[in-house]
Amino acid sequence: MMKSKTIQMTKPKVGFYGITGCAGCLLSVIFNEDELLDLIELIDLKAFPFVKEVNPDDSFDFIFIEGLVADNDDLAVLKKLRANSKYLVALGACANTGCVPAYRNYSLKENYEHLLFKKQESIQDVKPTPVDEHVHVDHYIPGCPPDKKQILTFIKAIVAGRTPKKYDSPVCMECRQNGNACLLDAGKPCLGPITAGGCNSVCINGGFECWGCRGPTKDMNLELMIRILRQKGFDDKFIQDRMRTFIGLKLPMLERVMNAHNNP
Amino acid sequence: MPTITLNHITKIEGHAKLTLGIEENKVTVCQLGATEGARYFEGIVVGRRYNEANELTSRICGICSCAHVIAAITAIENAIGFTPSEQTIKLRELLTLAERIRSHATHLYFLALPDYLGYESAIAMAPKYKKELQRALNMMKVGNHMIKTLAARDLHPVSAAVGGWLKLPSQDDMDAMGKALDGIKKDAEDTCKLFFSLKYPDFQTEGLFFSLKSEKEYAMLSGNFCSGDRCHAPEQYMNHIAEFHQEYSNANYATEDGKRFFVGAIARLNNNSKFLSLNAQKMLKLSKIKLPSQNPFHNTHAQAVELVHSIDHALEICKTLKIKDEKIPQIPIKAGRGVGAIEVPRGTLWHEYVVDEHGVITKANIITPTAQNLYNAQEDIRCFIPGIVHKTKEQIILDVEKLIRSYDPCFSCSAHFLEVEWV
Repeated sequence: MMKSKTIQMTKPKVGFYGITGCAGCLLSVIFNEDELLDLIELIDLKAFPFVKEVNPDDSFDFIFIEGLVADNDDLAVLKKLRANSKYLVALGACANTGCVPAYRNYSLKENYEHLLFKKQESIQDVKPTPVDEHVHVDHYIPGCPPDKKQILTFIKAIVAGRTPKKYDSPVCMECRQNGNACLLDAGKPCLGPITAGGCNSVCINGGFECWGCRGPTKDMNLELMIRILRQKGFDDKFIQDRMRTFIGLKLPMLERVMNAHNNP
Repeated sequence: MPTITLNHITKIEGHAKLTLGIEENKVTVCQLGATEGARYFEGIVVGRRYNEANELTSRICGICSCAHVIAAITAIENAIGFTPSEQTIKLRELLTLAERIRSHATHLYFLALPDYLGYESAIAMAPKYKKELQRALNMMKVGNHMIKTLAARDLHPVSAAVGGWLKLPSQDDMDAMGKALDGIKKDAEDTCKLFFSLKYPDFQTEGLFFSLKSEKEYAMLSGNFCSGDRCHAPEQYMNHIAEFHQEYSNANYATEDGKRFFVGAIARLNNNSKFLSLNAQKMLKLSKIKLPSQNPFHNTHAQAVELVHSIDHALEICKTLKIKDEKIPQIPIKAGRGVGAIEVPRGTLWHEYVVDEHGVITKANIITPTAQNLYNAQEDIRCFIPGIVHKTKEQIILDVEKLIRSYDPCFSCSAHFLEVEWV
């Protein structure tokens, strides 16, 4: 009796929340079909509004946030959860980089004006931004969505009291190991060389080029990437659009690098 | 009447809010709105290339990302005048069916069932209902595995593309998927039996049911948009479906020729039941539901019947399709407008694009099932309340939540917690 009580007390108090997003990262937690029922035994799952009715949000060890900040409600929820949690984990591309919804920071305002909802004064009420632009983030799980096994590995690590390691080698490493033919060689605009892997090069395995959803590697060579894409015949607008789709806000130097290379 | 506020009603995809005012047993205020932050995907795709729309709009929704991919591809192909091969279409059907299996299984067991068994969540049910949850997880696993096999990723699939498939499954893959589907046939039938045994409110919606309808199959990727004999060609949708804003919502509301309507599994059953697989017809009979049904709560039964049908249909494709090595051809681009209307887990999904002669998207319009259902769901709540107004506050809230969840709304698509505010 005494023993089981001790184990009970060491379970981390965990919450999973979504702000503006597609629920795909939260689903990726649930889609661990073989492990889910055991997983929920390992943690004290306090809150998960997507699948739970009762969600006390006063105190967490780990809070996982899916989504990006796109309005004031998101910001209020995020700040409250940050204040009530020891560690905050940015779960997935929206929370990590802003993902596709933050791409609108780079497209023309007139593309959106007719879509405005009545209660909004302007399209830029709140700039769509990843969570680390607003609160301190302790851990990042990248990907759109993250591989479900990667989420599982992360949770098992925190239960064991370890800090999960971040994967920072480019997608090309795993892609080579998987025996894929290089898509850049085939003239496809693949961003694998500047993108952090850990995804097992899943998109390229499926015949599709990497769009950068897991964010740039620390030591990426952006200049070289741009040069290669230009050599393959892609124009600057295409290169910029493609790089900004998932990671625009993490490449504030993009325009400068492109211009510098144009005017050596 | 005291002001009652209930925050964060849950177990739906996305964030929504309900404001209810009841005075002397009459509903004075009833506003169901999405509170999800707006993302403006229709603006995001403008200026992008024709073959990027599917990858971008997939991000509208996780659980139905395959749906957005296929709808976008269909609309773009219609715009540029490309006709896909038969094999391409069959594999798109298979992907759509796989998504329907995982989505219905997730909704039925994780979002809807706890209400009926008196639990706060499926997780809380786990100790007592492990067998039932295992059933759900089996079906979700097979659906996800199929999506991964066909399109590399179980969420935001990548191998389906304008013109065909970037990577084809092998014949062994088809056999393996068939075997996996065989393994969940009983799970789907047991799901029907479980859900048919639950007690549902007797309630009729005034909204018309709409879905794609075809003369030869249980319509999914093609057909006219129909309610019984009232039909519209998909490319004419904008002449009939009108969207409007309300200040309290971040999702639009829609009407069909000025009237409210609903889309989803029960609408499909109403229109297409004669094309159900034999096993699914058997299940439908067991359900004792008389079609056409106007009871939105029957959407849950319909999803269970569709699980059986989707497994049978997918099995047939896996068993009969001989995979040919087809490459995506060079596609000549011409300017045009195209509509893609397909049946996705929650109802009919509309994508429309205008592409210019350079292959650049100049205009986009997307109407999700939840946006079409939102108005009808709101008005259903208004009509449903008088019949339950004698109950306790907790019971009223639970009944209203059941009604909303029966629609299987996805507010990520249109707009996560439902926040009920009592005024």
